[in-house]
Amino acid sequence: MIRFQLNGQTVEADVPSDMPLLWVVRDHFKLKGSKFGCGMGLCGACSMMIDGQSTRTCILPVAAVANRHVTTIEGLQDQDSQRLSALQQAWVDNSVPQCGYCQSGQLISATALLKQNPNPSDTDIDNAMQGNICRCGTYPRIKQAIKTTAQQTAAVQMFEPTTAAEG
Amino acid sequence: MKLLINPSSRRSFLKQLGIVGGGLIVGVPLSACANRFPHGVDTGDRANLQANAYLQITADNQIHFYMGRSEMGQGTYTGLTTLIAEELDVNPEAIQVHHAPVHKAFTNTDYGQQATGGSTSMKISYLPMRQAAANTKAVLLNAAAKQLSLPVSELQTDNGMIVHGEQRIPYGEFVALAATLSVPDNAPLKDKSQFKYIGKDRPRLDGQAKATGTAQFGIDVDFPGLHRAVLVRCPVATGTVKTVDDKAALAVTGVKKIVTIHNGVAVVAEHYWQAKQAAALLNIQWDIPKKLAAFSSDTGEAQFKAALDGDDYDTAMDAGDGADALQNAAQIIRADYWAPYLAHATMEPLNCTVKIENDEMDIWVGTQSPGLARGLAAFYGDIDKAKIRVHSTFLGGGFGRRSASDYVGEAAAIAKASGLPIQLIWSREDDTRHDLYRPAAMARFQIGVNKDGHIDSWVVRRSGPNIMAYTIDEALDAIAPGFLPNGMVNWMSKAGYGLYDGVTVDHSSVEGLYEDYSVPNKEVQHVTVDPGLPCGFWRSVGHSFSGFFKESMMDEVALAQKQDPIQFRLTHLKDNPRLANVIKIAAEKSAWSAPRNANRAQGIAAHTSFLSPVAQVAEVSIENNEILVHKVTCVIDCGSVVNPDMVKAQMESGIIFGMTAALYGEITLKEGVVQQSNFHDYPMLRMPQTPEIEVHIVDSNEAPTGVGEPGTPPIAAAIANAVFAASGKRLRRLPLKLG
Repeated sequence: MIRFQLNGQTVEADVPSDMPLLWVVRDHFKLKGSKFGCGMGLCGACSMMIDGQSTRTCILPVAAVANRHVTTIEGLQDQDSQRLSALQQAWVDNSVPQCGYCQSGQLISATALLKQNPNPSDTDIDNAMQGNICRCGTYPRIKQAIKTTAQQTAAVQMFEPTTAAEG
Repeated sequence: MKLLINPSSRRSFLKQLGIVGGGLIVGVPLSACANRFPHGVDTGDRANLQANAYLQITADNQIHFYMGRSEMGQGTYTGLTTLIAEELDVNPEAIQVHHAPVHKAFTNTDYGQQATGGSTSMKISYLPMRQAAANTKAVLLNAAAKQLSLPVSELQTDNGMIVHGEQRIPYGEFVALAATLSVPDNAPLKDKSQFKYIGKDRPRLDGQAKATGTAQFGIDVDFPGLHRAVLVRCPVATGTVKTVDDKAALAVTGVKKIVTIHNGVAVVAEHYWQAKQAAALLNIQWDIPKKLAAFSSDTGEAQFKAALDGDDYDTAMDAGDGADALQNAAQIIRADYWAPYLAHATMEPLNCTVKIENDEMDIWVGTQSPGLARGLAAFYGDIDKAKIRVHSTFLGGGFGRRSASDYVGEAAAIAKASGLPIQLIWSREDDTRHDLYRPAAMARFQIGVNKDGHIDSWVVRRSGPNIMAYTIDEALDAIAPGFLPNGMVNWMSKAGYGLYDGVTVDHSSVEGLYEDYSVPNKEVQHVTVDPGLPCGFWRSVGHSFSGFFKESMMDEVALAQKQDPIQFRLTHLKDNPRLANVIKIAAEKSAWSAPRNANRAQGIAAHTSFLSPVAQVAEVSIENNEILVHKVTCVIDCGSVVNPDMVKAQMESGIIFGMTAALYGEITLKEGVVQQSNFHDYPMLRMPQTPEIEVHIVDSNEAPTGVGEPGTPPIAAAIANAVFAASGKRLRRLPLKLG
C-alpha cells in the first residue's frame, strides 16, 4: 500500500511498487489528464509536479512518491472555484493547444518554471520547456503564454497594496 | 417529446445518430457538390454522393452541432462551428459540438467517404455549413412571425434571440412551431460586410478543454470491465505468426488472455502495465516477408538510383515536346535529390477501444476516417457493418496517420478473439516501427535553359514506393461486400497493388514536382521501387518531398543563371499570379534584398499544395557545422479566411513539423527492420530550436483553400537554399546535414 498526496488529497493505492506513477494515476485513480507519450521519459506528456518539480512519471515507480506531493493537470485549477490558473487562462487566450495531447505536460512544466522563476528570460523558458515535445508545433504560443503570464503576475505584484506601501 | 420536421428517411438517420431529447432538428440536403476520388478510394455506394449538415436546437435553447470532420489540432472544431454560429446568429461558444457518428450524411464530398484529410474541411464546408445554419435561422424566423402574429420582415435575430423592437425572445420558444414548418433550402447568406465571427481572430473553442486535461482522447476512454491489450508484431513489417510460446506471459499477474491475430500476438490484461510486462515474455517465431527482409537502407538506396538510370519508366505527364525539348537547350542542369522514409510520431500513440456485446460492436477511437475504421472493424471482427457504432474522440495528432485504420482492425480482431472488451494501446516503439511511412523518394531533374536564361524544358523522374498501393489494400478490406470471402479480398488487394506499377501512376508519387512554373516543355516520369515497407499519407503527402526537390532545384537553376532566386521565380510565374504574389510579399516582409549580419543568410522557397500557394523565407546561420534557423517569414493565400489566428497557428505548425523532417527525420531499415524506436533516435524539434515565425495572410474574397498541410512543403527547401547562401554547400538530401 502506497500513500501520497494527489492534488492536495491524501490517497492510497494497493498497486505493485514498481508500477509507473503515470499508470497508477490514469488507471487506478482514473485521472486521465496526464498522458502516455513515449514510456521513456523523453517527451514530457506524462509530466506531473512532484514537490513542485516537473517530473516524467511514465518511468517513475509509484514507490518513489510515497508521502510526497503530486500535482497533475487536474490540480492546477482552483480546487474550490474551478477557476483556471493564470497560465491555463493564458493558454486559452493565446489559443495555444492544437491537438492538445501534450498540453497537460506543457502546463505542468510551465507552472513549475514560474513557481521557481517568476520572471524567466527566453533562454530560461527554452531550458525549462525543452523536455516537452509538441508535434503540432505550439512552441511559439507556449512561450508567448508563459511570458504574458509572467508579466501579468509581475504587474499584479507591483500594485499589491503592501508592496506599494513599502515601495 | 421528439419534434422532427424531417421525412422518414431522415428520421431513421436521426435514430442512428442516437440524438437524445427533443427540439428542432434540421437536415439540409446539399446536392450541388461534385464528387471526386483524387485518392482513388470510391466506396462504390452511389447513395454517398451527397452531404448533409445537421443542427439541433432544443426548447431549452441548447444548440447541438454534429460535426462530420475530425479535430486533430488543425482547428476544424472551431472553424466549422464559426460558420454555423455566423449564419445562425449565435455566439460560437454557445454551440455544443459533437464528433458525428458514421453516416453518409457526413461524407467528405472530395473523397466519397467520411474522412478528414487533404486540407479539405473548410474548402468543402464553407458554403454548405453556412447554408445549413441560414436555413435553420430562416425557419425559426418564420415560426416566430406566426407565433407572434407579425410580418417576418419586422423580425431580426441577435445572438440566439428573435428580436422585435425592445422584445427579445430566445430561439427555443419557437422550436415547437418551427418543427411543423417546411425548411427553406436556400435562405440568403450574409454578406462579408455583415460578418460578426467569420474573418475575426477568435480563441479556439476547444482551448479550455485542452488546457484543463478534460478533452477526451481515444486513450482516455474507460469503463468498468475494460481490459488493456498490447500487441507484439513481427519486427519485419507485414510478417505473420508461425508459432508462439506464451507460458511465461500467461503467468503474469492480471493477464487474462493471449490471442494470436492476423499480424501478431496480443496480451490482454487488467492494466496496460501488466500487459506490457507480459508481452516482453512472449516467445514468437515469425514468418518473415522475404523481400522486405532483404532490404537495408545503406545498400538499398542504390535501387532507387538504378531506377533513375534505367530506361523502364511510366510517363506521368508530358506537355509540349516533353523530354525531347532538352535537345534544344543551351544548357542542361542536372541534379538528383533524396528524401528518406518518415514516421508520423503523433503524440498520442495509436489506440482503439472495442466492445462486442450481443453481436453488436462499439468502437471508441480517434480517427480521420470513421467510415473506413468501421469497415476494417467489420472485416477483422467478422461482424456486420450495420451493427457497429463508431464513437469518435479528439485525435492526439493525425498528420495522415489516423486516416489509416490498421490499429482499428487489430483492436477488433483482439476483442473478437479474446471475447473481452479491450483497449489496444501501441507503445512509442510500436508507433515508430510499425507506421505507414512517408515513402522514401529519389528524383532526378534535367532542366533545359534557353540562350536567354529562361527554362525551356522541365524533365523530372521520380523513383520510390506508391502510397496508393497500400491504401487500396486497406480500403478493399473495409469496403468489399461482406459476402466475399477474405481470401478473395486479399487477392483483389494484390491486384490493386500492381495497378501502380506499370499500369497507372499514383498521383501522390509525383504531385508537386512540376506544376507551379510556366515552362513550355515538361515531362514527368515515374519508376516504382518498393522494398515492401508499408506507406501512408503523411502531412502534405507527395508535396512533403516534392516541395524540397522542386524548390531546391529552382534555386540551383536560378543561381546557375546568376539570377536572384526571387526574380528568377517571378519570371517563370506568368501563369500563376497567386504564387507570384505570395513570393513578392515574402520578399518584402523578410527584407530580402536588405543587408544583414554577416553570418546570417536567407533562402526562399514557394510551393502550391492543396490549392494554397505558400512562400517562406528562412534566415539561418551555421555554427560548428550545425544549421540554426533564426526566423521564418511565411505568406499564404488560402482564399477567404474564417479565423486568421487559426491559419497563423497552422503555418507555425506546418513549418515546425517540416523542420523536424528537414533537420532530423530519417527512418532507416536493416534487413527489413526499422532501426529507430523512440524520441532518442527519432528526434523531434523542441522549443530551443524553434525559430521566430512571422505569418502573413493574403486578403482574399476567393473560396477557401487548404491550410492544414500547405505550410509544410516549402520549409526544407527554404532552409537548404539559405544554407547554400551561407556556405556555398548544396544539400540535396534530407535530413539536411553539413560535413
